[in-house]
Amino acid sequence: MEDKQNNSLLIIILDTNPVWWGRKQLANDQLTLSHCVDCVTVLADSHLMLTHKNKLAVIAAHTDHSVFLYPRPQSEKSMAVKLPDDGQYEVFSQVEGQLRSQIQRLIAADKVKIDDMYEVAEQPSDSLVAGAISMALCYTHRLEKECPIGETLSTRILIIKGSNDCPSQYMNFMNAVFTAQKLNIVIDACVLDSDSGLLQQACDITNGIYLKIPQPLGLLQYLTWVFLPDPNTRSKMALPPRAQVDYRAACFCHRHLIDIGYVCSVCLSIYCTFSPICSTCQTTFKIVGPQKLMKKKKKL
Amino acid sequence: MASNTSSMKKIVCKDLHSYLRTLPPTVLDRLYCHPATCLAVFRDIPELSRHYVMRILYVEQAVAQAVVQHSNNKYFREQFEAAAALVELRVWYEQPLPGGMPGWLLNHVFRTNLVTALLGGGTSWIGSKDLTPDKYAKDILFLDKYALERWECVLHFMVGSNEGTDGVNKDITDVLLHSGLMRVDDGEPSITAEGFQFLLMDTSSQVWFFLLQYLDTVQSRGMDLVECLAFLFQLSFSTLGKDYCTQGMSENQLRFLQHLREFGLVYQRKRKSHRYYPTRLAVNIVSGLSKSNIDTHRPGFIVVETNYRVYAYTDSPLQVALLALFCEMLYRFPNMVAANLSRSSVREALARGITADQILHFLQSHAHPEMLKKSPVVPPTIRDQVKLWELERDRFKFNDGVMYNQFLSQADFELLRNYAKDIGVLVWEMPEKRVLIVTKSGHDDVKKFWKRQKSSSS
Amino acid sequence: MGDEDDKGYRWETEYEKTWEELHEDESGSLQASVDDILHRAKRRLLQDRVTNVRLGMMRHLFIVIDASSAMSDQDLKPTRLIATLKLLEFFVEEYFDQNPISQLGLLISRNKRAEKITELGGNPRRHIKALETLSTQACQGEFSLQNSLELALSTLKHMPSHASRELLVIMGSLTTCDPGDIKEHIKVLFTQDCANIRCSVIGLSAEVRICKTLCQRTGGTYNVILDESHFKDLLSQHVTPPPATCDRKVIINFYLLLGFPHHTLGGDKDTGEKPSMCMCHLDSKTSQGFSTTGYFCPQCKSKYCELPIECKACSLTLVSAPHLARSYHHLFPPEPYKEFLTSDIVTDGQVCCYACQIEILDPHVYVCGKCEKYFCLDCDLFAHETLHSCPGCASSRNLQTIQATSIS
Repeated sequence: MEDKQNNSLLIIILDTNPVWWGRKQLANDQLTLSHCVDCVTVLADSHLMLTHKNKLAVIAAHTDHSVFLYPRPQSEKSMAVKLPDDGQYEVFSQVEGQLRSQIQRLIAADKVKIDDMYEVAEQPSDSLVAGAISMALCYTHRLEKECPIGETLSTRILIIKGSNDCPSQYMNFMNAVFTAQKLNIVIDACVLDSDSGLLQQACDITNGIYLKIPQPLGLLQYLTWVFLPDPNTRSKMALPPRAQVDYRAACFCHRHLIDIGYVCSVCLSIYCTFSPICSTCQTTFKIVGPQKLMKKKKKL
Repeated sequence: MASNTSSMKKIVCKDLHSYLRTLPPTVLDRLYCHPATCLAVFRDIPELSRHYVMRILYVEQAVAQAVVQHSNNKYFREQFEAAAALVELRVWYEQPLPGGMPGWLLNHVFRTNLVTALLGGGTSWIGSKDLTPDKYAKDILFLDKYALERWECVLHFMVGSNEGTDGVNKDITDVLLHSGLMRVDDGEPSITAEGFQFLLMDTSSQVWFFLLQYLDTVQSRGMDLVECLAFLFQLSFSTLGKDYCTQGMSENQLRFLQHLREFGLVYQRKRKSHRYYPTRLAVNIVSGLSKSNIDTHRPGFIVVETNYRVYAYTDSPLQVALLALFCEMLYRFPNMVAANLSRSSVREALARGITADQILHFLQSHAHPEMLKKSPVVPPTIRDQVKLWELERDRFKFNDGVMYNQFLSQADFELLRNYAKDIGVLVWEMPEKRVLIVTKSGHDDVKKFWKRQKSSSS
Repeated sequence: MGDEDDKGYRWETEYEKTWEELHEDESGSLQASVDDILHRAKRRLLQDRVTNVRLGMMRHLFIVIDASSAMSDQDLKPTRLIATLKLLEFFVEEYFDQNPISQLGLLISRNKRAEKITELGGNPRRHIKALETLSTQACQGEFSLQNSLELALSTLKHMPSHASRELLVIMGSLTTCDPGDIKEHIKVLFTQDCANIRCSVIGLSAEVRICKTLCQRTGGTYNVILDESHFKDLLSQHVTPPPATCDRKVIINFYLLLGFPHHTLGGDKDTGEKPSMCMCHLDSKTSQGFSTTGYFCPQCKSKYCELPIECKACSLTLVSAPHLARSYHHLFPPEPYKEFLTSDIVTDGQVCCYACQIEILDPHVYVCGKCEKYFCLDCDLFAHETLHSCPGCASSRNLQTIQATSIS
């Protein structure tokens, strides 16, 4: 009798890296950015259609900043909302309109920046996903506070990524993932191109689903079948099995995966070979011969 | 059950699903021609069913059942119920695939209209023509006040007080009489036991119940049920605070709009005005049915303490009258009323036909925000005690029977008793006094047996 | 309370006139005062965090629980011992959350003796189970500080000194019954082997001089609780790693050799995985641990069910990469944000918080020194306490490479 109303929040993080999407366009691949945005819009509308208590947020992770595509801050809503002139439900058409216009704005801003520059510098081919996840977590934190008494909020984050992992984001990424685990937020990942070790770890730690899409054209189908149900319903439906996650560490010097490594006791950086100075914290180390085994503890 | 409560029944508020099941299939099929209905039905089916529908929404042919549903033994029952719900509402049918495997096929009309609602295309909804900005624009606060005022007129009328400013018109009285919430006594309508139960429900359930009763009477007024329902669903999905245009509405729908204006579900500045504002009572009317434990239309004002004191921070005479139904009023202050929940006051309410669950639901749905911070909201001592008081009235069970006594010998008594026991109609016996009671229905058999015995022995 | 010696005892200091803190405004409302106090408390939380110290990351901590008759007193509900054990269960979870490669051990002291309940180890389940069984045991006899110290030291002195070695005593009794002179014994702590062992005490009844000396000499903290929530606060202070003391003799830094085992899910007939028994459950009578899934030590290939653990065959410590990553935030905490007045910010329109998009209505706005984005107070607290990174810096390309290679 006392069960509280549950609101479900879905945050979609979309990787809008222009280099990766541009390459797809040049290769005449059928999965273009506009197709992807359409699929994401339909997924967002489907989520809102399930119950009127469901909430939504969409963040774009770009090369050098992350921005909220939906909802936009209050000040921008002062423009009168136009009603749809076809049979679409007005909330859905509002979501669609906002997403489209914001993506266009994002791309237009990029174009202006490139036109302004004297020489075209190389654009990085990865997106700042960790920043987008951190923003999503702050947004969830705010919504939880604003939730009226008697209702609870459960959140999940869906990341749609095509570009490669960004190794310099490791720290921020892991911090965000551990925070999500602590707050019981599930992170799902939908990968369009190459496997991402970071996202695999994130999904494993937070009990989410990781899926690399075998056929990019069927994106909407995968989104609806796999990522639309919320965590409680997932156990009742048929879903892809858990992927094997490689939890081995990557050494800081070469970024190779290693089985056994030397770890600095001060800053915990991992190295594959012994060297007298730790490159991250600059502490010097005593030169040790063959590894001393820990003395067996004396029993009293 | 005790015989004195057998004449009073508990009112049952049907949810959308149950209501739609009572409609004939042709009406249902016509209803699905509009996206708003499909959306409303979609939101009402169980969660698992919704996912099934989403999975096959874009497929025009039948899909194998095993693909759509995952046969997991633990949740088999839930999956079965989810599938059955969809069949009942004629949303999908069983259709074998070409290979012979069983498959599901979505109702074509339902499918196209749901896709329209989701993605676009098709004709626009009622009220969505663009309007010039309103120079008499109303904000949400005004709409809330207006809605509650109109709705309370109806409630005041039921309670019999004259506080409601305008009284109510004949349409509303007809609906109230039809639904059994009031009855005509000496030419004046007065409230029944079901009416009391209705008063204790929270506002959204009240409005929905009332609307369902109204829709039952729609045929007799010469209005088309499908058109009214279609408009009602579209109204339910509108945004609060926005104005909509009446252009494109049929005669029936315009009449319906006027009735809704009476109940407080929409606001129109004048009868012939081209724009209307839906109020909070109308928005999400279809989906907000009694699933929440809090009355979202009124801020909570009741505080219940473990010493059985009830404090209500209200000055509305209607709310005070409702509280007085089951509490003993102690003091009245300008902004507050103090009452006591005593055994005698609760028993009086129970005698009128109100159940303990309804009393507790009332206390919980109007609980003050400070109370909501605690869990459970109503202290468990109070909850248990009210339920115990209700059970107290349940101590006797009455069975009709026929008594046999004044047997001439013990042997006769035992013979008859054994026979009655064998055919299972024995209710009670007392061997010392040789008294036997059998059920009324078994009396004939026992009498025939006895007559046979007597005639064979003598 | 114990570390401000110059202040003396509490009754010797002046009264704090707390009622003067609150001021009424013209309409007689205290709301503005209350808001101000809350605001200051929040900011103080952030600033109290000591930054820029070297943290000793691998910790070996022994907890000594007093189980003498003084602990059956009911001033903490239901009894002192049960309340302590409950709080310690939370503590153990938090401790392993914040210090993933550290180890913990439990000792109790009663009947003038000290007993070891669990050995030093990295698996939280074992310790929590032991704490649960302890709650049924009786409190009797007397507490012995010297015996507990001796028992703890016998293990701690063999631990390498690059890890921090700590002892936390939870003492409810006011007396200690020792076989020798405890002051002599404390001097032992300054010998070569036992150098840098930090002892802290949490007292449940009153301040005792010997504990105060012990803590002061070894650089630990001594506190006496006021009530249960204060007890919880004091315990939480021990969750974060203590700053490594630099005024001691030169600490020799060692490399640790750690293994990162591969997790096999098994269950696939093609790979030919055969089920095997894991080493952690070798002694158990049930068949738990006999499966194809598990972690295999890279050196000796023995199987274990969970990490972190020390391999029994080759004594290599096994961890997984996320375990180490959990501790990185202590080493690279985000810089505290600077406070500005909202009215000083010049923008067209409302100021919105960069992270949560809320319109900032407070008079104060918080700006990150590196990425220069605006944040509201709630996001400030969230970023520093829970997230441990700045959302603005994480979303700026030019700040990425700097963070990974520098230490603040």
